[in-house]
Amino acid sequence: MEIIEKIKTNKSIDNQTEIQKICLDKLQSSPLPNPRSEQWRLSNKSKLSNFLEYSVNENNENNSKFEIPYPKNTQSTIRLIIGENCQIKLIEKNYSIQKLSEGELQKYIKEQMSFFNQNENWSDLLNLFLSCKNNILGLKINGSKIPPIEIFSHASSNSLNAKTLIIFLEKNCNVELLQVNLGEDNSSLSQSTFFCLEENSSLNHGVVSYGVNKSNLLNSLNVIQQKNSEYNLGSLHFKFNYARFEIRIKQSEGNAKTNIKGMQITKKDEQISTYTKIDFDGPNGFLDQINKSLADDKSHAIFEGSIIVPKIAQKTDASQLSRNLLLSNRAQIDTKPQLEIIADDVKCKHGATISQLNEEELFYMRTRGITLTEASKLQLSSYFQEIISFIPVSKDRWDLLDKILNEN
Amino acid sequence: MQSKMKESDPILEVKNLSASTDNLPILKGVSLTVYPGEIHAIMGRNGCGKSTLSKIIAGHPSYNITNGDIKFLGKNINSLEPEERSQSGIFLGFQYPIEIPGVSNLEFLRVSTNARRKFLNKEELDTFDFEELVKEKLEIVKMDQAFLSRSVNQGFSGGEKKRNEILQMALLEPKIAILDETDSGLDIDALRIVASGIKRISNAQTGIILITHYQRLLDEIKPNYVHVMSDGQIIKTGESDLALELEKKGYEWTDNFIKET
Amino acid sequence: MGVSFVKVYKANCNKLFLDNMVNENLVKDVVKEPYKYGFVTDIETEKIEKGLNEDIIKLISQKKEEPRFLLDFRLKAFKRWQKMKEPDWAALGYKKIDYQDIIYYSAPKQKEKISSLDEVDPKLLETFDKLGIPLTEQKKLTNVAVDAVFDSVSIATTFREELAEHGVIFCSISEAVKNHADLIEKYLGTVVPASDNYFAALNSAVFSDGSFVYIPKGVTCPMDLSSYFRINSGDSGQFERTLIIAEESSSVSYLEGCTAPMFDTNTLHAAVVELIALDDASIKYSTVQNWYAGNEEGIGGIFNFVTKRGKCLGKRSKISWSQVETGSAITWKYPSCLLLGEESVGEFYSVALTNNLQQADTGTKMIHIGPKTKSTIVSKGISAGNSKNSYRGLVKMGTKATGSRNYSQCDSMLIGDQASANTFPYIKSQQPDSEIEHEASTCRISEDQLFYLQSRGIEFEEAVSMMVSGFCRDVFNQLPMEFAAEADKLLALKLEGSVG
Repeated sequence: MEIIEKIKTNKSIDNQTEIQKICLDKLQSSPLPNPRSEQWRLSNKSKLSNFLEYSVNENNENNSKFEIPYPKNTQSTIRLIIGENCQIKLIEKNYSIQKLSEGELQKYIKEQMSFFNQNENWSDLLNLFLSCKNNILGLKINGSKIPPIEIFSHASSNSLNAKTLIIFLEKNCNVELLQVNLGEDNSSLSQSTFFCLEENSSLNHGVVSYGVNKSNLLNSLNVIQQKNSEYNLGSLHFKFNYARFEIRIKQSEGNAKTNIKGMQITKKDEQISTYTKIDFDGPNGFLDQINKSLADDKSHAIFEGSIIVPKIAQKTDASQLSRNLLLSNRAQIDTKPQLEIIADDVKCKHGATISQLNEEELFYMRTRGITLTEASKLQLSSYFQEIISFIPVSKDRWDLLDKILNEN
Repeated sequence: MQSKMKESDPILEVKNLSASTDNLPILKGVSLTVYPGEIHAIMGRNGCGKSTLSKIIAGHPSYNITNGDIKFLGKNINSLEPEERSQSGIFLGFQYPIEIPGVSNLEFLRVSTNARRKFLNKEELDTFDFEELVKEKLEIVKMDQAFLSRSVNQGFSGGEKKRNEILQMALLEPKIAILDETDSGLDIDALRIVASGIKRISNAQTGIILITHYQRLLDEIKPNYVHVMSDGQIIKTGESDLALELEKKGYEWTDNFIKET
Repeated sequence: MGVSFVKVYKANCNKLFLDNMVNENLVKDVVKEPYKYGFVTDIETEKIEKGLNEDIIKLISQKKEEPRFLLDFRLKAFKRWQKMKEPDWAALGYKKIDYQDIIYYSAPKQKEKISSLDEVDPKLLETFDKLGIPLTEQKKLTNVAVDAVFDSVSIATTFREELAEHGVIFCSISEAVKNHADLIEKYLGTVVPASDNYFAALNSAVFSDGSFVYIPKGVTCPMDLSSYFRINSGDSGQFERTLIIAEESSSVSYLEGCTAPMFDTNTLHAAVVELIALDDASIKYSTVQNWYAGNEEGIGGIFNFVTKRGKCLGKRSKISWSQVETGSAITWKYPSCLLLGEESVGEFYSVALTNNLQQADTGTKMIHIGPKTKSTIVSKGISAGNSKNSYRGLVKMGTKATGSRNYSQCDSMLIGDQASANTFPYIKSQQPDSEIEHEASTCRISEDQLFYLQSRGIEFEEAVSMMVSGFCRDVFNQLPMEFAAEADKLLALKLEGSVG
């Protein structure tokens, strides 16, 4: 509560929008996330309050322009940076990308907020309260043969930054989109993303979040899938002191496809967690999800996933797998894949494993002269590869595997 | 012939070796010496310790040596890491080669071959040169190039896995090869391919230890010595006709042996 | 309910064969199958007044002529309980329990001291006869020693002398308090401390009776031991307490059965079971729980809130829980193992079947503390009607649990589209040199399988029951023989109601 007060005073109250007022109201009436609520049970309390310690950075113009790290932009990619002037209006022969009007944005956000559960969407409430007009990017995309899109959110040092992204994919539209969240030293980034996939649309979505030692991230992703849409998500989170990735997907009419491959790597005393909730609100839904964690040193990796299959969601086919590697005896892994099922004609399964690198595989490689370090790297790279190759746009340009394997 | 071989130094000397896993003794004083050019066969029932012996020589971390020595080219290797043993020329062909999903067979073979080449002060091979080499060696085991692009052993049939083992042996050119039941689960054609692969690789400078249940591999590759193991010990050693006798009389016959020194 | 299920089922199934197979009348007959054990024994009972306060606890303790340490144990637990909040985290919905509206001690009136079974009220013996648990010398079950508990007290224990010859102590816990106070004082509350949870605290304060088992060093108990719990009074709660101690290198198999009459009020059952296994000892604890589940509208039935936990204290000790849960309006139960001793083993095999408006939230906790400990979890949940069936489990590898392993398998079967099946596994590891593997799946009885069986001339009902029984096979295989057959029958009976 105190912290919310602090943010409130930190932020000018005069020009609050209607949405910000609603959010503040809800934030004040709901308690801060605490261990008693299931969604925040394992979240490190002091790390979370540390997240809120920084003062809110609303005015991007005061900062020097954000330099996007390697790789350089190429002609064929559309690159947008939230918070810097994203005046985009592309109307080509096959497609169009346009900013949502102020009215459309307000309407959509309000509608979304009516579905919010205060405990579950706390990150979104905080985000929408903090993010100012400049930091909200809303797009509607239409058409096909659209060049890959890269969208950056970044948090500058010694400040709390909130960025919001809202995208409508109109009917029959296919998009590849890579979202990159970057944290500088001593920074907090609140990123909320809302996607609406209309009928027959498909989105290959990549999320790559990486920080430096003392950066924090609350990354919330909300996806609504209309029928016959396909949503593919490949994600990677690493190098955050504290990061929380929340994924909420609703197949609003069923008959949609969702594929998720996520990965989180924790070292030192970092805590990174992934929460997913998949609602099937209609029949014939499909989900294939795998989440991998790797925890080393004194770190803590968490995965909690739930699959909710109500009566209406007959013929749902859902599978969720949580695979975890625990590499140090001071590290910790928690995982909790959950099924809540009412419909009877469904195929649902989940699984979880926690282990270290496979000793027999290591031995086999070592008997062929490959050193333990190399053999471990080979095993790790195959462990990562499955996820990384699923992240669109990035795979040819970002050298994610090298970044992970060679950084310490 | 025999005496001429013994003029050189042994490749491998196992002296009074005892070992255990989880405090359970598996080997109880095994001695075995292999000179250049020799082929030894080790036979015995399941669980007699013959696979364990091969894993211990290769340096499997699950076993503890409680007594005795393993000397390779005159040096004690008891405390060497598995990769150091491999690089210096010890090869273990596994009975059940493990599948390693996600690790490409070609990449695995290349890293492994280069590790051995580095040890031998030979130039390491780049991808292009290595592919040339591997194509040549594929001939030996009559394997298709398609195997290279798959993950290590993943989805391989029993015969394909064994041929992949012989391919690795051909690439690594070891001083000593220990082949653990390389013949099991092979049909007659695959057995011939594997046997001819082994013959291609063996020469007057190398040693081979064949671990087997059956005579049929020994029909293809004639051993100089046959050892019978039981309960963690070598209870009888003879020449190649011992294997034939064993085939005829069965392992009950050996139950009566007192350990020969 | 049953009929509506058939409609739904028909909608789902291939009409071609199903319409011919299901005979509505047969279905109705089956639905009407009453709860077989729902009768009330008309017997004069001694009850104390309703309500819970220190005086009531003192009164219970006084009635049972307990030593001071036990009264202190109870009062301390009561103080704890008053400060605790009733848990609300499990996915259960139920009417608030008024703890002042419960009778905490109820016992059939009998002579002061009974020296043999002949002095037991014939009505009581008749009751247990009717339940299929004859107690008299002539009729008693061979090879199983039984401790029969009626409401708050144990009324008889069979085969005592035979067991005594082997040094095995098997008696009611009240008797053990008198005759083996040292063992009770040493072990009671050491596995489930009074402060463990709300219902364990309540039990610690007011427990009335239960069974006590002590297997001395090196003894393999010559026969299965069994307790049979019968709730008879409608307004009294049942709070039994069981304590089993297996000394070094001993082993025992213990069975537990339960039934209650049909009342339209809810009765609270809050038991505590504590098991202790020392070096190389093994305890197998099997339960067939068939408390009254309430009627089709969810009126009445037992609230079954029990705490069962075993401590593998010794090296290579083993505790194995197997359970078939078919009864109770609400079940809230997690038989658990604390694996302290090196190479100790914990097992949990469970079948939970819910129908109508039953709710079951059951599972286990496997806490790996010592090195090289192993645990196995096999849970089969079957949900029919409008019921709710949840698996909730915790597997934890502590920092010292090197070389430890867990394997869990949790399968759910859904019958009809109104029932829910949930799986909530909590998995935690702090030890890299350990392995945890969890698998869960959901299925229903497939039309193809049904059709196949039916095409071979097997009746619809039987086909369903065969498939459910096949689904549960892994668990049934763990039950002692006599129990396995009973469990199979019980499930078939319960299911006839749901499929019908």
